[in-house]
Amino acid sequence: MTMNRRSFLATTAAATAATGTPMILRAQPKEYVLGASLPLTGPFATAGQLVAPAFAMAAKLFNDEGGIAGTPIRFVTEDSGYVPQNALNNYQRALASEGKNMIGYFADSTGAMKLIAPELKGENARIMGSTSFASELADPATHPYQYLSGPTYQSQFDILLQNIKNEGGQKVAFIFSNTEFGRDPIEHGRKTAEELGLEVVLEESTKAEGADIPTHVTKLAQSGADHCILQGYVTGVWPQLIGGARQFGLPVKFKGTFWGMEKLIADRITAEAGPFLEGYEGVMPYRYFYDREDAPRYQQYAELSKAMFAGTPLENYMSTWAIQTMCGLEIAMKAFRDTAEAGQELTADNIAETLANISDWDSGGFFGGPVSMENNAIGTGRVYGYNPEDGLFTPKSDWFTV
Amino acid sequence: MGQFVQFAINGLMAGAIYALIAVGIVSVYKATKVVNFAHGYLIMFGAYFYFTFAVIVPGQPWAPAWLASWQPGWMVEMRGELPMFSPVAAVLDWVANLPRILLGLFGALVCNAILGRIIERVLMRPLMGQSIFAMIMVTVGLISILSGAAQLIWTADAASVPYIAPNMPIRFELFGTMIFLFGTDLVNMAVALLLFGGIVAFVKFTKGGIAIRATAEDQSTAYSMGISVPKVFSRAWVLASTTGAIAGAILATRNGISPSLGLFGFSVLAIVLMGGLDSYVGVLIAAMVVGVLEAMTQWKMGGGWAEIVPYVTVLVVLVWRPHGLMGQKEVERI
Repeated sequence: MTMNRRSFLATTAAATAATGTPMILRAQPKEYVLGASLPLTGPFATAGQLVAPAFAMAAKLFNDEGGIAGTPIRFVTEDSGYVPQNALNNYQRALASEGKNMIGYFADSTGAMKLIAPELKGENARIMGSTSFASELADPATHPYQYLSGPTYQSQFDILLQNIKNEGGQKVAFIFSNTEFGRDPIEHGRKTAEELGLEVVLEESTKAEGADIPTHVTKLAQSGADHCILQGYVTGVWPQLIGGARQFGLPVKFKGTFWGMEKLIADRITAEAGPFLEGYEGVMPYRYFYDREDAPRYQQYAELSKAMFAGTPLENYMSTWAIQTMCGLEIAMKAFRDTAEAGQELTADNIAETLANISDWDSGGFFGGPVSMENNAIGTGRVYGYNPEDGLFTPKSDWFTV
Repeated sequence: MGQFVQFAINGLMAGAIYALIAVGIVSVYKATKVVNFAHGYLIMFGAYFYFTFAVIVPGQPWAPAWLASWQPGWMVEMRGELPMFSPVAAVLDWVANLPRILLGLFGALVCNAILGRIIERVLMRPLMGQSIFAMIMVTVGLISILSGAAQLIWTADAASVPYIAPNMPIRFELFGTMIFLFGTDLVNMAVALLLFGGIVAFVKFTKGGIAIRATAEDQSTAYSMGISVPKVFSRAWVLASTTGAIAGAILATRNGISPSLGLFGFSVLAIVLMGGLDSYVGVLIAAMVVGVLEAMTQWKMGGGWAEIVPYVTVLVVLVWRPHGLMGQKEVERI
């Protein structure tokens, strides 16, 4: 092709138009990336393997909806083995390989969040959600890029204590694992109990695994508590404590927080050891998956699950752990989309500002009504109780906002 | 006073299980001079074998229904509307589980014995005559292999297993205080102490036991006296694995089953050092002391201290007696 005056002018005009495009359009990648570390092996492999498919579902759902202002999003998940250092390595690797295309990250523990937090500076900052409800993270001054997809453990204690007060309880025992996770809300819980006029008659810390059940149950019996809050356990210790107390005929009502509220675990305990979890209650930030009449978003998940996970246990039930992850991804997506729609570049600072200002958000049924971000957390939840006969957790209170 | 007795009994019950775990470490050390760092993971395998034969196998569609739950008519009628934790209901529930409990214990004993034999034959025997340090390092390597293998075979899922004995509540008044005990814990304690006593008697009074003791004194002399040292090694590992299988099954009933069970071995190692690596009696005393101290500290000072105080005591004892309470002082001859 020979270059004449006309073609020269046309080429020059096209080149000028291209180079003169506003910065935001030039900076927009072909796809965005959200990285994640999941415990696919190690002590929480069960939870990790139940959560991993949620990312596949999220990719399908969010991209079918148009991604982020028309740009698709890709999820990259890696195994952490539930080791925070591995999660940090995964984060750094994802940052190096995906660069600016990576606009968010999802970590699998409080430890990982804390370890990665100092890395979130300047060019390396990314918005970050996780499985953690650690109270320490809900502070935009110290953790501006990290958020919780529900209430902190302290808020969960507030909800439970208010519920105990409403039930006419007077003496409360706190039994918790001797871990950061276990100790998180204890001091705060003591203060809240005092404000509500409840007497804390026992603060008992146990080993996170292999606790000496007879000794702890004996102390609970001697304390004279009418209610007992269990904190800092996932699959072990809490069922044995409840079983032990029931054997001794203690009339104590047991309450748990998010990680002690999974139906799959309660069902398994019931199948193996009998229906002794009858009456067990706890705080849950979200609706259970089967309670989706007023949750249009859950209905979408259910349809997708049927299509994507046919023939697997995920086809009909999504664990609370997966719901927590999906809620975290929904919050991140809302912040990404709102930032893009406002014509702002998707930098960590812009996204963090949008996320911190989420207010009256209709989550599509995760929570009881519209919710707002406060201190990068959503302080809402309600009390559910377990019925071993039908294996369902059903609501025992209204939604509390704290 | 009543409360003191309550926590002392709780501590003794925990101590008896520590002793049963410790007996395996002492047996291997006595025969081979090898400190088996992987003993906790042998116990974990015992627990998983018990889980396999008491929960997974009876739950298979091809397994007969009576294996999962034996429910003869007379028992169903007796069980009727009894409350879940009444003593009679606890016994009846245990009887219903008895076929799978027995299968679980039998399977755990056999499989763990085979595992112990394989470890000894494939990993330890080729190192006979080499430095003890190399053999100890092999047991350290075994920790990763056993822990990884368990997660591959059974996943990291936590699960629960049926109690070995009826778990009825036992209540009685003592010095004006109501004492609470779990039936199954008392039986566990009795089983642990009986096994411990049996092993001590075996080592003291049988030919095989004398061979173990002779090998412990001096392998070359034992050889020259016609004792088959490889056989002694093998016997010690099988002994450690089978007691470990029972200890694992008991631990699994108390704490549920998960890969973290292997970590118990490390706390028990401290107890073994306190008692004396080559002394059954010393280790029994140390296990009981640590068990009671843990319970007492939990009672008076809370859980944060309960994980520290007993092991500070272990350190103090070791500073005072570096070979443990009743360990034999090694004499170096030049």
